[in-house]
Amino acid sequence: MTKRTLILLALLVASIISPLVVVNFTPIDIPRAMRELGRYYVVNTIRDTASPEAVAAVVWDYRGLDTVYETVVLYLAIVGGLAVFRLSKAPSMQVVIGLTVLSRTATKIIILLISSISAAIVLHGHLTPGGGFPGGSALAVTSMLIVPVFSVHSIIERGITSTRLIAIRGLALTALGLVALLPVFRGLELVTNQRFYPARVGFITVSGSISLYNLFEFFAVASGFTAVALYLSIPEEWYKERFSEHGG
Amino acid sequence: MILTLLMMVVSSLLSLVFVYMAVTEQDLLKAVAFSAGQSICYAILLQAMAATDIVMTYVAVSVGLYSALLVFVLSKTERFEEIGR
Repeated sequence: MTKRTLILLALLVASIISPLVVVNFTPIDIPRAMRELGRYYVVNTIRDTASPEAVAAVVWDYRGLDTVYETVVLYLAIVGGLAVFRLSKAPSMQVVIGLTVLSRTATKIIILLISSISAAIVLHGHLTPGGGFPGGSALAVTSMLIVPVFSVHSIIERGITSTRLIAIRGLALTALGLVALLPVFRGLELVTNQRFYPARVGFITVSGSISLYNLFEFFAVASGFTAVALYLSIPEEWYKERFSEHGG
Repeated sequence: MILTLLMMVVSSLLSLVFVYMAVTEQDLLKAVAFSAGQSICYAILLQAMAATDIVMTYVAVSVGLYSALLVFVLSKTERFEEIGR
């Protein structure tokens, strides 16, 4: 038996025995009362922000300015990543066939499932757990699935180029910034929610600006990560050829 | 409550197993899969602690995006780790 197997066995035995020990012999005092701060958010969120989801309310309303700055930080990080992989002209991709029919069909079903779930995460983001970032990154997973199974070519063929994705990202972030900035023109603070945006449109609860932020963040995150996936899937040989053309 | 505690202890220790396997594995593609397994354990742990919002982001990023990114990176280098150098 190798050392690795021994250590793994020991870890597995520990992981089976320790729950039994914890449950049977350790008196664990689990806190059951809610803390004062938590109680404030649970009681007042629906009145302050028109959103029943306390986390979304904290992220986009109570601490909205923090999240706007975080979005800017992520934007700059992805811009930096894309600058490393920048291209002076579009790479000439040779057509790659991709994987077998079996995996293609399975992937098609999975992509449909992931896309609908990500849409649900975003559109319900102000009512149930979820929001723009989880939904956007879930959608970006589909592009990372398409690239190995159907090849990059199949994405670029449908007009989803990295230039367009970066344009979508820029537009979504501009819209997000405008949603944050618009209340200022009415003399309110930056990132104001309930005093400027309506709580419901018709009979649909939109929770003011929270659903708008979620939607634009979704587009920004999904397009940003998809652009990164497209850049990463450009073969290394192509870069080497370009460098040798420019004389190292 | 006991069930939640059990789930937390099992998944946290199972994540330790996955981490050990990921660190010692020489086939880096398998190591990425073990790392994804560890992320799933953490997701169960977070769900047991009722942090549903974090679970959503965590699953998408650490199981999906992070693993996919590492596979892309692996495709640009070698699959097997060379030891004894």
